[in-house]
Amino acid sequence: MILKKIFRLLFPLSLSVGILFLAQRLLMPKYMGQVVEGAFIEEYYNEETSHDILFLGDCEVYENISPIVLWRDYGITSYIRGSAQQLVPQSYYLLEDTLKFETPKAVVFNVSAMQQYEQENETYNRMTLDGMRWSGSKVKAIKETMTEEEHMIEYVFPILRFHSRWRELENDDLRYLFKRRQVTHNGYYMRADVRPAGEFPVARRRSDYSFDPKAWEYLEKIRMLCEEHGTLLILMKAPSLYPVWYDQWEQQIKDYAKEHQLEYINCIERSDEIGIDFSKDTYDGGLHMNVYGAEKMSRYFGEFLVGISGVEDRRTIAGEDVQNRVWKEKCEFYDQMKAAQEAEFARLGYLKQFTSEEEGGNLYEKTR
Amino acid sequence: MLLVSYDFVAFLFLLLVVYYLIPRRFQWICLLAASYLFYGWGGAFYLLYPVFTTMSTWFLAARIGRLTQQSREKSLPRQQVKKSQRRLLILGLVVNFGILAALKYFNFVVDNVNELLGAAGVLREFSHVNWLFPLGISYYTFQAMGYLIDVYYRKYEPERSLPKLALFVSFFPQMVTGPMTRFDQMRQELFTPHCYDFTNIKQGFRRILWGYFKKLVVADRLGPAILMIVSCPETYDGIYVLLGMVGYAIWMYADFAGGMDIVLGAARLFGIRLPENFEQPFFSKSLAEFWRRWHITLMTWLREYVFFPMAGSRLSRRLAKLMGRKAPVYIASVTVWLIAGIWHGASWNFVAWGMANCLVMLISQELTGLYRSFHQKFRFSNGKGYGYFQIMRTFMLFCCLEMFEYYPFEGVFKMLGSFLSSGSVRQLWDGRFGTLGFCLADLVVLAGGILLIFLADIFQRTGKLGEKLDRQPGVLQYTVVFGLFILVLITGVYGHGYDASQFIYNQF
Amino acid sequence: MEELIEILEDINPEADYHTCASLIDSGILTSFELVLLVTQIQDTFGVRIPPAMIVPENFNSAQAIYRVIRQVEEDQ
Repeated sequence: MILKKIFRLLFPLSLSVGILFLAQRLLMPKYMGQVVEGAFIEEYYNEETSHDILFLGDCEVYENISPIVLWRDYGITSYIRGSAQQLVPQSYYLLEDTLKFETPKAVVFNVSAMQQYEQENETYNRMTLDGMRWSGSKVKAIKETMTEEEHMIEYVFPILRFHSRWRELENDDLRYLFKRRQVTHNGYYMRADVRPAGEFPVARRRSDYSFDPKAWEYLEKIRMLCEEHGTLLILMKAPSLYPVWYDQWEQQIKDYAKEHQLEYINCIERSDEIGIDFSKDTYDGGLHMNVYGAEKMSRYFGEFLVGISGVEDRRTIAGEDVQNRVWKEKCEFYDQMKAAQEAEFARLGYLKQFTSEEEGGNLYEKTR
Repeated sequence: MLLVSYDFVAFLFLLLVVYYLIPRRFQWICLLAASYLFYGWGGAFYLLYPVFTTMSTWFLAARIGRLTQQSREKSLPRQQVKKSQRRLLILGLVVNFGILAALKYFNFVVDNVNELLGAAGVLREFSHVNWLFPLGISYYTFQAMGYLIDVYYRKYEPERSLPKLALFVSFFPQMVTGPMTRFDQMRQELFTPHCYDFTNIKQGFRRILWGYFKKLVVADRLGPAILMIVSCPETYDGIYVLLGMVGYAIWMYADFAGGMDIVLGAARLFGIRLPENFEQPFFSKSLAEFWRRWHITLMTWLREYVFFPMAGSRLSRRLAKLMGRKAPVYIASVTVWLIAGIWHGASWNFVAWGMANCLVMLISQELTGLYRSFHQKFRFSNGKGYGYFQIMRTFMLFCCLEMFEYYPFEGVFKMLGSFLSSGSVRQLWDGRFGTLGFCLADLVVLAGGILLIFLADIFQRTGKLGEKLDRQPGVLQYTVVFGLFILVLITGVYGHGYDASQFIYNQF
Repeated sequence: MEELIEILEDINPEADYHTCASLIDSGILTSFELVLLVTQIQDTFGVRIPPAMIVPENFNSAQAIYRVIRQVEEDQ
């Protein structure tokens, strides 16, 4: 009797929860079309093997470094945990999150996010944070970076944030209801189209060039956390022509690196050395690298990374079949995508997936 | 705290647990604490207003009560008692309505004085004062003053306990949007202990959900478009005048009645029944009937504390002898509608709106005899068809009168003329409709939502909808509630992608 | 009582005042008519009905109204 009663209570309850869960899955953006950046963070959790190098930062890491090249040419295993407009605290908490699964030998942090402390658009927050697995780190990341209009409950139940998407549901929402397709190569976002760098507006003077204390606080936290785990921290600045990286900013980072004896690699200064040709190696006119630029960057970085103690050429170690198999698959996926994009770009002059219908190719400000 | 916010939902759940766990005799204290928390959520400063109103009302009512006592014991002469009581009453009314008037109408008066001064060639201008405006001040002030007047009229004894009166003045769900209640009506509800009863919880949450449906799915979806139509009469003329009129009426109804559903539902969770504020007003057959079914508690308040006392006063009787027996009724009506108008907002628009309503009511009152003989002569006029015609007529009349609220006075006639002379259905396809910001999906949801509210009102009219639902099997009841929840959750207009909007009726 | 019914029928001839018990609630008497009724009663019976007694409960049926008149007469 009691069993029957419990069943009669539990059945509708679980059915309702199931329906709500399905509705939520359906309404959450899948990031499988033109904007894929929201799918990056989550892909990390599918990784089967560990990584020696972890890249942290915003688009200046996930578009500029190709872990596949690092593997092919140097046998280095690496992963990029970066997403669009990823703030320094978000990078910190992603590092915390990553350290729960593995301890990389070195962390490369791209410093461009230092210039911005507050998120200007909550959609970027969602793209970074929604993909994170639930843990104390995620909760702290949300609390620290959500905008004034956001609420914690909207992260716990994303349907509260995305419910208005019922008006714009598309096939992708059904197709990727439960499982998304892989879009990155260990966090790397591939673009094989080319758009030569053009003219940029003249850099405007600022009244204050000092970074926000909160940004400093979290850079410091990243440094401390790395120290705690015996991980080497390396700072980098990706090669980009725009937005401007001011000399005053550069100086602050240099001073910080010197103070704490950190390696800091500014790739803007070294772009000739790296061999970057801004008429060929960027897909959006000088803001971000395309696959050709990223591969050059990776080769340059690889030379540097192999010198780090503990970073080994994993290809040569016998017996690590799993790793070899995993990376073989990754390489195949990479080559396929690159070939397909190259072919499409040669045929059309643009990549369909990343081009909105009305503008035929101009997606300048989509992400930074 | 707003009735539509995550905070409020969380607050309700927490309070519910506390309320039914603590010893029952503390329940009302718990509600009082919760009410102050609710009201002071946006800043404790705002609590000063209701606290002052409560204390002054409590003190004066107690004094009046003691005088009554003394008069009964014959320790004071009756005349003297009457006189002192009257003074105390007037003091209370002047102070409390004075605060309300200062907060709500000071800037309005300043505007008009400046205009007059400007017209007289005086260059000096007075500046506005930006008060920290407490939400719902009209509601709790009216309610507290109703209590004071009742005590003065000796309808019931004054409440001795200050905290109890405080709860009556500021009971959280009703404090910011009504309904206004009478103390003798609420005493039982508020202060007697309530046992946990699942029926209350069920009915309460169902009603709250239904309110959210009206508010979030219909009112907030409709609102921005209607505001656009009525605020740009140059752009939206012709058929859009009609669209604006009808849309405005539906918007107001969904917004206000939805808010009431949330309030009444929330109160029900705690076992407290508040009086209804709406009784399917759009099915009224005359404007007089309409105003007995729309914002009932305000209209009752005005009738009880303004209309009857005025029409029955000694001055009125003298007037009646001088100007005919209907004169007092006329003067009382004009006063009531003036107050009703200005209650809705500090602007000449609302004064005009009130006067227009008053005019229609008085004319139809004068024609009552004519109507009655018409109904007697023509039997068809007692049939169903004619009833529908009357309902449509009343609805359109209400819509027309509402125009005084949002168009300037001359504009009302101009826009009505524009609709009558050049309105055509084809104008809906001329591109202006696209500027209202609806996509097809929105329109479908709106149409469905309005239809649902309409059907619910029809059912409600032929019997209590809630009670009918309660008799259905549990599975069906649950499915209805869950379906409603999903509808609100998904198609509701809230959060990012939509601009959050307040209830229209909070500002009063 | 008959006097009262007469006044009522004078104001609105359309109801059966002997049986109807919801004169106000069902809208047979409007607020206007209620006030007219009160003045008529005051003139005819020579009493004064205080505003505190002008509430719907007291005017819903002829019996109730009559009770009010009797009560007021006693008080005064």
